[in-house]
Amino acid sequence: MKLTRSDRSPLIAFMAPALAIMLVFFVIPVIYVIVVSFLKWNGISAAKFANVQNFVKLFRDKAFVRSVTNNIIWALVAGFIQVPLAMVMAIILSRKPKGWKFFRTVYFFPQVISGIALATLWRAIYSADTGLLNGLLRAIGLGEHAKDWLGTTQTAFPAVLIYWVFYVGYYMVIMMADISTIDSAYYEAATLDGASDFQQAIYITIPLIKKTSLLTCVTLASVLGLRQFEQVYMLTNGGPANTTSTMVLYMYKKMQDTNYGMASATAAILIVVGVVFIVCIRALFTGGERTGTVRKGARK
Amino acid sequence: MKTANKLLALLLALSMIFALSACGGSTSQPATPASPATPATPATPAAPATPAAPAAGEIVINFPSIWVGTDSKAAYMAELIEKFNAENAGSIKVVVEEQTDYQAYRDKIRTTITTGSAPDLCILDTTFDIKAYAESGKFMDLTPYLQQGWGNDFAEGTFDAWSVDGHTFILPFESAVFTPIYNKTILTAAGWDHFPATYDEFFQMAADVKAAGYNVMGQMAGDNAWSSMLWYSLIVEAIGGKDVYANGLSDPAFVQAATVLKQMYDYTFDGAVSATAGDVNGHFIGRDTAIYLNGPWWIANFYKEDNAVDGKLLADECEVAVNPSYAGGKGQGGLVTTVQGFLAAAKQDDPNKEAAVVKFLQYMTDPEHVSELALSSGAMFFVKYTPSPETSEISQKVTAVANDASFTILHVNGAFPTAFSTEFPAAVSALVLGEVDEQGFVDMLQTAIDNAA
Repeated sequence: MKLTRSDRSPLIAFMAPALAIMLVFFVIPVIYVIVVSFLKWNGISAAKFANVQNFVKLFRDKAFVRSVTNNIIWALVAGFIQVPLAMVMAIILSRKPKGWKFFRTVYFFPQVISGIALATLWRAIYSADTGLLNGLLRAIGLGEHAKDWLGTTQTAFPAVLIYWVFYVGYYMVIMMADISTIDSAYYEAATLDGASDFQQAIYITIPLIKKTSLLTCVTLASVLGLRQFEQVYMLTNGGPANTTSTMVLYMYKKMQDTNYGMASATAAILIVVGVVFIVCIRALFTGGERTGTVRKGARK
Repeated sequence: MKTANKLLALLLALSMIFALSACGGSTSQPATPASPATPATPATPAAPATPAAPAAGEIVINFPSIWVGTDSKAAYMAELIEKFNAENAGSIKVVVEEQTDYQAYRDKIRTTITTGSAPDLCILDTTFDIKAYAESGKFMDLTPYLQQGWGNDFAEGTFDAWSVDGHTFILPFESAVFTPIYNKTILTAAGWDHFPATYDEFFQMAADVKAAGYNVMGQMAGDNAWSSMLWYSLIVEAIGGKDVYANGLSDPAFVQAATVLKQMYDYTFDGAVSATAGDVNGHFIGRDTAIYLNGPWWIANFYKEDNAVDGKLLADECEVAVNPSYAGGKGQGGLVTTVQGFLAAAKQDDPNKEAAVVKFLQYMTDPEHVSELALSSGAMFFVKYTPSPETSEISQKVTAVANDASFTILHVNGAFPTAFSTEFPAAVSALVLGEVDEQGFVDMLQTAIDNAA
């Protein structure tokens, strides 16, 4: 549809508030962050131009490189393990087996608990001397495997990551909502042709949600993976030896040091990494096509 | 029709803009306290201050405070503020914004100052950055008031190190000394009737205590690694002596001290690398750890019935020790100390409000009030006060150790920029887990300082 001149005014008027919000709360802060990333500034004294020194220092800092690596791993695990798990759950529960409402509630329930509370809970589970996990290992005769899960470089990052992967409820309900809009005729026809439930999931459900809710969930999960802070802060504060640090935690620590230049440089890199991730995910899922499908006759 | 549509669209857009601008409107009552930010790790649920609306003409002093919740100074501070408000009803009202988490409090104060204004009154504890704060021009110059006699209430030389060109903007208030306190029962069970005088002897005692089935001391590399940082300060003092900070981290004492600190991790409880202050305190209170190291503000906990076992107070089992000396070290008889809390007041345009803030500061630092505060909390202060005869035995012994010290050095936390303290947990865990050697540990800390410079 071609826009006429008379269509433009209302369009601009409708878009103006959203654009104003974007400008004030996103565009200007991002520009500000980029400007500060080239400054040496402690937040109290006058700022000085630092050229690219903040970025040079960042890439020379092993803790920062580790933080970027951890974030990339986190985002990949989120997008390609957590979301597929959620998808499997969504497909199973969408077939409405006995007790599906109960399980849907159980899987979604952790989403209403704050990340801080969950992290505190898991900190107690992983505790070296009084933790549930070590207690369990000792109870079943595997006491020699008990360890300081959050205090060992080999186990700390997996420990922080693994429990989080299983919180799939949020993505599960998004995909369940999408699956419920798929025309039931597809499944009826497939059943008549002798397709199993598994084949129906592979050849009907997944292709139909791939470019809609699956793409949305993978994007959301990856972006949330890149923004990880509170769980790591609460569980390990980035330790031991910075092995569980993430970019946002690193940025926070630079702010604690009143090193706003390096904190902003970290934020700028985080934005770039986020954009690259989103572009790659969209390319992977759509192959450059526009997303969105139209379905009729939603499944009852 | 088209015109009507356009008008409708414009009206809708305008109404949304007005609604949004209404949401972002600023208040014309700057004295009204902001809602306290949610602390990251609250010690107790913070009850947000819900003050009554100020009376007309009443000056409201906004005081974000960390001395609330379970802090040992909380009870008396609350009483003091209530008393002040009652005495000045209708003219001055101090409104406390409660923050129970130190890190959240620091974040809040720093952000407030960075974004343009300081709170009417606040507590600062970032010793190394104090001069930058003082030079920022955002704090009230207290010099004229101190020169009018108020300054005589403070110990000699209190302001020298923290003044800028002879002007005092930030008031050193709470002091701290760090000296080990040990559980006599545990040491006796391990065959020791005295606390070791040297670090060589210390590790002999440590082996005996461990053999008797106890942990020797609490170490922690989790959170801010506070206990390990304190032990590191003591070892650095014992090895490097009073001038150890003169050449920054290049003094060999820092590498040597790292060796001793690493060795100490062989005698602490399991899981110390991920442990926090709660774990360290819990083990000592639980009577399975022999030695405790923290500031005097913790002394009140030795007398809490909650921490008693079989009716026996923790204080009854404990004794105050002095930092052992190190063979070949330069630090015999020295003491690690710090400024635990500075008081700072925002620069005021209104002379009446400035006078009100100063009035409250003078009230708070009144020697009689400080004496009560010291008695109730066990904390130490730069104000000259007569200790109450009811002062606890442990407090008296800690004070005696402080008075007997031949010299003092700052805790490493206060001697180096904040970047040192931020990096310390990572560096100490890397050291203990063998990711870096002792020189690598010091290099990590130096790199953090250099990056922040």
